[in-house]
Amino acid sequence: MRFTLHIWRQKDAKSKGEFATYKMEDVSEHMSLLEMMDLLNENLINEGKEPIAFDHDCREGICGACSMAINGRPHGHVGATTTCQLHMRMFKDGDELYIEPFRARAFPVIKDLVVDRSALDRIIQAGGYVSVNTGAPQDANALPIPKESADLAMDAAACIGCGACVAACPNGAAMLFTSAKIMQLANLPQGQAERKKRALAMITQMEEEGFGACRNYYECEAVCPKSISVRFISRMNIEYLNASVSASL
Amino acid sequence: MAILNFLRSTILSKVVMAATGVILLLFICGHLLGNMQVFIGKETFNHYAQMLQSLGEFLWIIRGVLLLSLVLHIITSIRLSVLNNAAKPVKYRVTNYVKAKVNSRSMLLTGIMIAAFLTYHLLHFTLGVTNPDHYSHNEYYAENGFTVQGTSVTAEQLNDNPDAAHYIDREEIIVERHDVYKMVVLGFREPLIAVAYIIGVVLLGFHLSHAIQSFFQTLGITGPKFTPRMVQCSIIFSIIVVAMYISIPISILLGLVGGGV
Repeated sequence: MRFTLHIWRQKDAKSKGEFATYKMEDVSEHMSLLEMMDLLNENLINEGKEPIAFDHDCREGICGACSMAINGRPHGHVGATTTCQLHMRMFKDGDELYIEPFRARAFPVIKDLVVDRSALDRIIQAGGYVSVNTGAPQDANALPIPKESADLAMDAAACIGCGACVAACPNGAAMLFTSAKIMQLANLPQGQAERKKRALAMITQMEEEGFGACRNYYECEAVCPKSISVRFISRMNIEYLNASVSASL
Repeated sequence: MAILNFLRSTILSKVVMAATGVILLLFICGHLLGNMQVFIGKETFNHYAQMLQSLGEFLWIIRGVLLLSLVLHIITSIRLSVLNNAAKPVKYRVTNYVKAKVNSRSMLLTGIMIAAFLTYHLLHFTLGVTNPDHYSHNEYYAENGFTVQGTSVTAEQLNDNPDAAHYIDREEIIVERHDVYKMVVLGFREPLIAVAYIIGVVLLGFHLSHAIQSFFQTLGITGPKFTPRMVQCSIIFSIIVVAMYISIPISILLGLVGGGV
């Protein structure tokens, strides 16, 4: 397969970036997009040029490291997929692809396609955990959890924190990420003790990081590689209101 | 500004958008039901308008609540838009939306255009500034029946008791009131005004088609069965509201309503 790639090149955080165009011939349809990038980088190194920096790790769709937007869509045009699982057969021969870093004020570009997503880590640090001493493992069914709650918590816990929701949102909002993390714990008995404190702390941190507000576009849900529902955002709003009222009384 | 401090959280801002929006939506529905009386006839329509004017302080309370809602709705949306633009300084070279439809992406634009239309609408029909020739008509009407020393009697009772005729006070039962019916008919007979109104209402419907489902989403009223149906219903509801509102200028332009004016 043949492709024309327009890839964002940016020397460092302070430089002004621009698109560079690369022609790719003989790309196997079985290659993932990242493997094609590897091939391109090998070519660049052989030519004595600077290879393209991009984030990647597990290459099996579970780590959330690969952060790039292909033709304006984080993780590409195929739903419920990460970039590493995006195979070249999903494109048409001769396609022209614009590959850009995730765009959001809270995700500054470090180099080429690599962005700094530690703002998401700081949201987790603000309260996305349960503070208990774990001790010895207890009996499996000592803590009864209704199936519905366990299912909801699992759906939320599917979030791999890749930041595609932020990158896809026209407002650069981290609502889907934050809501998944808050609602995962809010649906489980272990999360109850710090439930209100957690909602307030994580949302306050989210807003301080410079993420935008939700305008119910639902682009986040559309690109999420784990298909996390925007209903978690809806639930998070109630969670936040409830916590705000309790805190102010 | 204490009020802006309260609105600092974007989630609370969204709740303000939803709450003020629903107040404005209630007004839109009430206003629509009132306006529909133009199809019943001049007497009913003018009587309705007169009744609204006679509410006195109560009318001003309603106006105050609506104005406050509108101002909060606008201020909050401007603040959120500024914040959102700042949160996405660089856009993608190619935009490729999946779920963000035209109605959700154009909320700010339709909102601004509706505000402009609303200003004109108030200047035209409520304040009578733009077209005093439409606005400044009063009508005189006699209520059915006569008063004899402050007591209402019918024409038959008057015929049965000729003595009472000496005490009729006719001056009191001839009443002057604003001829709202004539104002509306004269206004919408001008094609430019009618078209501007239709465009304004269609924009409003477009705004509502996203706003109503947004209200439920923001306030946590969502569910796997409920949400898809609710989204459909909000679109159907918006279409009905638009169709009912624009039926008025269309009927007047076609001469179906207001022939006697």
